[in-house]
Amino acid sequence: MKVSAIVVAGSLLLSVGAMAQSVTDPQIAAIVVTANQVDIDAGKLAKSMASSGDVKKFAEQMITDHTGVNKSAVDLVTKLKVTPEDNATSQSLKDGGEKNLANLKTLKGAAFDKAYIDHEVAYHEQVLAAIDKTLIPSASNADLKALLVKVRPAFVAHLEHAKHIQASLK
Amino acid sequence: MTFPFTMRVPFRLSVCGAVALLLLVGGMRGAAAAAARASRTHTVVIEGTAFTPATLKIAAGDTVQWVNKDPFPHTATATGGAFDSKTIDVEKSWKVTLAKKGDYDYVCALHPTMKARLIVE
Repeated sequence: MKVSAIVVAGSLLLSVGAMAQSVTDPQIAAIVVTANQVDIDAGKLAKSMASSGDVKKFAEQMITDHTGVNKSAVDLVTKLKVTPEDNATSQSLKDGGEKNLANLKTLKGAAFDKAYIDHEVAYHEQVLAAIDKTLIPSASNADLKALLVKVRPAFVAHLEHAKHIQASLK
Repeated sequence: MTFPFTMRVPFRLSVCGAVALLLLVGGMRGAAAAAARASRTHTVVIEGTAFTPATLKIAAGDTVQWVNKDPFPHTATATGGAFDSKTIDVEKSWKVTLAKKGDYDYVCALHPTMKARLIVE
């Protein structure tokens, strides 16, 4: 379990590392939408599979918050007439999400909760790194950059929340 | 004996009357001031997973309203239990009137990084 969590975290790390120094706005749009969707999907599985009440509540909040972020992202790119463009990073995020789901589906009870939360910590750390190092610096449209700046603190809050739960599970 | 008595009664009455009048005027002024304060509503904007302003000074009897401009829900929850908005949905607001002086630390129960304070003077 620990090894698979590390592997998944490692693939996230690779996806961030694989990011080109600069990405275009259509690529950023695809990365944002995929990053949120991956966490919504993990949240949906955890909402039904988690055994701890705190983990279940956290999963529900991830679904709500990331759905909200995705809605504002989609609204904005629609307004800007930007068509999200798949790229190596969005593809890696998608693959990483699928691997995470496949791994979580083999687990139950406390082991599931731990693996889900461990991955949430790694995921939010990596997405934050991507936001800071690649997405915000590369965004050329001011509204798109503003949206990234506005949603960034939510990822920080989610990370702190996930770490708090992670500590309580040990 | 009756003369000083009759003199003293109106004197006492006039003093009482003057005191009563002063109290009445003072009371009205106080009530008017309190009413003016009670009518003030302050706004705290919730955006970017933060409360702005993070510290707000208000007068006792003032109302504070929180407006959620983020794309997901938040709460305004006093750590001491004085108030709890419960979920404030997207583009919704919630308000509370605080009559008691004191410092009120509050958080968003959903996002542990969100901390702010109301100072009621």
